[in-house]
Amino acid sequence: MGVPFKQIVVYLDGSESSMTAIMYGIKLAKEHDAKLTAVYVVNTKALSELVKAGIFVTVERDEYQRDLQLDADRYLRHASHLAQQKQVLIETVKLEGTVHIVMKELLKSSKADLLVLGGVTDIRSRREELASETDRMLRTSPCPVLVVRDDDDIWLEFEA
Amino acid sequence: MNVLDVLDRNLVKVPLMHTDKQGVITELVEVMAKAKGYSAKQFEDVLNAVLDRESLGSTGIGNGIAIPHAKSDVVEHVSLVVGISRLPVEFDAPDGQKSRIFFLVLAPSKEASAHVELLASIARSCTSQVFRRMLEQARDSDEVVRLFME
Repeated sequence: MGVPFKQIVVYLDGSESSMTAIMYGIKLAKEHDAKLTAVYVVNTKALSELVKAGIFVTVERDEYQRDLQLDADRYLRHASHLAQQKQVLIETVKLEGTVHIVMKELLKSSKADLLVLGGVTDIRSRREELASETDRMLRTSPCPVLVVRDDDDIWLEFEA
Repeated sequence: MNVLDVLDRNLVKVPLMHTDKQGVITELVEVMAKAKGYSAKQFEDVLNAVLDRESLGSTGIGNGIAIPHAKSDVVEHVSLVVGISRLPVEFDAPDGQKSRIFFLVLAPSKEASAHVELLASIARSCTSQVFRRMLEQARDSDEVVRLFME
């Protein structure tokens, strides 16, 4: 266990709350002089499931896979840009697979001592309970997890 | 992103009036166009995108469900229309069953992740036969929303 944190990993999924998480992660890395890694996982498992369920045809899966890769590149570039603004070194990592499983492996292999996540979902329905990848990461992470609330104050403070 | 993030009672229609595939798709797009205030051109663009996708292969997925969907930059964010038909509609599903539950999913090209997540969420929600039956029997849009919230 590293306190203060030395190896911080932030999970990005393109949501506004994950953007808040990267801002928080950048500030935290600066405070702790920690190594910062931003990770985006292209959810190829979900794509395969959509083909299996008959919702996507194969050609569509390939097209969406390209779109998701572009999404990943765009969000990781944005994370790098934000880190540069605060003179914080950042490593960006793009992975593919089942999100919570791939993330667990990365957290272990990188010996991360903190995972920073955007907001977990409100439990509004039994059907959706525990279905979110962020929720699963929260429960399966091998290291401590910090959940950043989707808070306007963090954006304002970061941009100040 | 899941169904509850985008489910809006104004984007639910019970019952649908049309009884053929093209009619149902048009009706679902009309619900979206009316709620979002689309122009005639925007309506046409969205409809053509959905029909173009349908031409690649039917979005009738079986168990009485169809999920017509498309990418369209007419929509600002990932959007969902739910429609329930009293009469089964031939949607060329692989199991040969006609469809009564319809989900129209539209997303701008920049929101691929959210689009995929929403489609997966719909697929998950409809795995239960009991849930599908309750949806088919929903009396109005409020009941559809309530069923998803349970």
